[in-house]
Amino acid sequence: MPSTSLALTPGLGSFLQCLKTNPIDTSIETLISLLKRRQIRHSRSCATATACLLRGVITSCRTNDSAKLIERVQNVGRRLMAAQPREMVVGNIVRRVLGLIRDEAEDDREAEFSLSEVGSESQPQTPRAYDDPSLPLDRDSPSLRDDRTPRPPLTSMFSLLSQPEPENSLPSTPGSQSPGGRLFSHGSTKDVRSEVIEGIKEIIDELGQVDDQIAAYALDHIHSNEIILTHTSSTTVQKFLLKAAAKRKFTVIHAESFPNNHDAVHATVSGAAKNEDENLGVEAFQKPLIEHGITVILIPDSAVFAMMSRVNKVILGTHSVLANGGLVAAAGTRIIARAAKVHQTPVVVVSGVYKLSPVYPFDFDSLIEYGDPSKVLAYEDGDLVDQIDVQNPIYDYVPAELVDLYITNLGGHAPSYLYRIVSDHYRKEDISF
Amino acid sequence: MATTTSGTTAADAEPFDIVATYNELLRSDPDLTMPIAAIEALVLLLTQSVSSTISETMDLLEKSTAHLKKSIPNPIGLSAGTDLFQRYLITTLQRPGLLGPAGDFKAIRTHLLTNGRLFIRRAKESRHKIADFGRGFIRDGSTILTNGGSRVVAALLQKAADEEGGPSAVRFRVIYVLSSTAQDCDHPNEEPEGMETVRALREKGVPVSTIPESAVAYSLGKADMVIVGAEGVVENGGIVSRMGTYQIGILAKAIGKPFYVVAESHKFVRLYPLGQYDLPIKQRVIEFKSAEDIAEESKQDSPATSSSGDDQIELPLCHSVDFTPPHLISALITDSGVLTPSAVSEELIKIWF
Repeated sequence: MPSTSLALTPGLGSFLQCLKTNPIDTSIETLISLLKRRQIRHSRSCATATACLLRGVITSCRTNDSAKLIERVQNVGRRLMAAQPREMVVGNIVRRVLGLIRDEAEDDREAEFSLSEVGSESQPQTPRAYDDPSLPLDRDSPSLRDDRTPRPPLTSMFSLLSQPEPENSLPSTPGSQSPGGRLFSHGSTKDVRSEVIEGIKEIIDELGQVDDQIAAYALDHIHSNEIILTHTSSTTVQKFLLKAAAKRKFTVIHAESFPNNHDAVHATVSGAAKNEDENLGVEAFQKPLIEHGITVILIPDSAVFAMMSRVNKVILGTHSVLANGGLVAAAGTRIIARAAKVHQTPVVVVSGVYKLSPVYPFDFDSLIEYGDPSKVLAYEDGDLVDQIDVQNPIYDYVPAELVDLYITNLGGHAPSYLYRIVSDHYRKEDISF
Repeated sequence: MATTTSGTTAADAEPFDIVATYNELLRSDPDLTMPIAAIEALVLLLTQSVSSTISETMDLLEKSTAHLKKSIPNPIGLSAGTDLFQRYLITTLQRPGLLGPAGDFKAIRTHLLTNGRLFIRRAKESRHKIADFGRGFIRDGSTILTNGGSRVVAALLQKAADEEGGPSAVRFRVIYVLSSTAQDCDHPNEEPEGMETVRALREKGVPVSTIPESAVAYSLGKADMVIVGAEGVVENGGIVSRMGTYQIGILAKAIGKPFYVVAESHKFVRLYPLGQYDLPIKQRVIEFKSAEDIAEESKQDSPATSSSGDDQIELPLCHSVDFTPPHLISALITDSGVLTPSAVSEELIKIWF
């Protein structure tokens, strides 16, 4: 959205304003319509908006019952994801918040367990079930103890041989409730809600710092006199290059990424960058690369292959990263990655962990979004518009084998290692909620 | 422990034969996988034994496992089961809690002995879990190339074709590669394996084409993806599977079609083969013969069975396997999710270290 950065334009700024003044349900509706109309578009803006909205949702939920919190967040999350299924970061943030709630609930349960353990040792005759009115009293004590034991994380391979699930041994328990759900539903000692809000605040902080954290790795990857090729006006890439530019001299070849991002690229290169990313404050005043004495060469996208033989490294930003190591990035990225492969040039993708999605790309075509065709062929060319079909895909799917290295705020990873980061950040039960 | 004592008396009469038990288990239930049969055999062994200490039990397990592995021509699949069982015992015993060192050894014994059926049921359920994960891979209008007689692949394809499996049945087509060598050597006139799945799929209205192995390269152009099963998934993420899988993998890579493997996570085995000829099995696939050798062989009539007792038993040609290296595999669809080949080693590390 190049020409619409007025204060009144609907976007992240207006949404955050709305969140402050309006009731939460209105804000949910606002974000849904913003997403639907693509008035909020950058990955980070979407992520920030989602995180802020969920913070509001949790705040307005007057309960400490984690099961209910999870249900509420799932509900809101489903609606947001349905509004814009291709904006993967929305789902990622929702999943992380769900994971936060689950973690808190489990911590709670463990604390409770150790308390009741102490109690039962002092009075060994008292069945522990009396401590908890919600548990049926007619259970035999060993199964009760199994149920309560904080099990060390059972690996999936052992789960085959592990103890039977408590439900199997206890037909008296209502079937729909899992033992976990029952346990974190009763009066907890800790304020789950405030802990979760604290956690969301950390996510929001992370979103703000992620570019700087990634840029910290720049000097390991960019060396003196190298020729770097990049594409689109990604702030993450710009910061990465700027960080290296402070210490080293190198050359940047910038593909202009016509027609969706070329204005922004021109602005970035010339240093006339407008406040493109709505939530940027200080960054907007940053000096462009040229002022650091870096040679910047602007090329049309069609010249990428011709230039590739001279390039030492390709550094790309991305829209989202998928669980198999593939990525969805601005149109034109795949050509660049493919050209780099042909020339055996290393391809480095810089991306915040928040863009890493646990979604497996079953159907690549469905991930590609199509944009405004008038950017390719303006409506002024009326005659042509009637006669030909104009398409403007915004994204490309780049398969994992074309990428050599991912740099996230956690460090550098091989594409085959991304599954591990996915499993660290999202809980299995939230992957498809 | 009434069952144990009665078991002991039975054991006195006739020593427990783990190999026979294993084979019997596999024969009696065609749905049983090799690792699970091995686990079951070990559970039955424990039922029969009188061991009451940990080290005695471990020793017994180790000896029986070694014996079992030596007596079965292809121990790759079953060693996944025996390893898992052994590691489970050791980790449970080290872990604090009821079943841990402070607890009663009998408790874990009883748990294992009483839940044998449960393990089998879970193993079968994991097949359905995989089918649920894998359903997303099969899209409307896609064509899937598959081979062999894998039960997981069959479950996955049938689930996708089922109306009840999801919102609606997927309309897809299947190219089924029928192996010429994999015909049952005991019944040479029987239909090749996989025909049962082919029939079941056709029954459900899925158009199936059967092709010989030699037509794989020709047919791959019409396929959107390859889905195969596996006998064992090795540490580097490669798979040990029915002979012919490797070449399908190579062809799929060359033509640029995704190659997916469906396997239960109990098939992960701690093995690191460096190539085709590095598998711990003996199979006579390549055999060089001159006219003289053939003449000599026909004179002897029966093939020389002068193998010494220490040697691995030879795998009959109809059950021969090959190794598909990880770089040919796009993803592994397991009951713990869709994994990249490199994730396999991590799952294994989790149980071993």
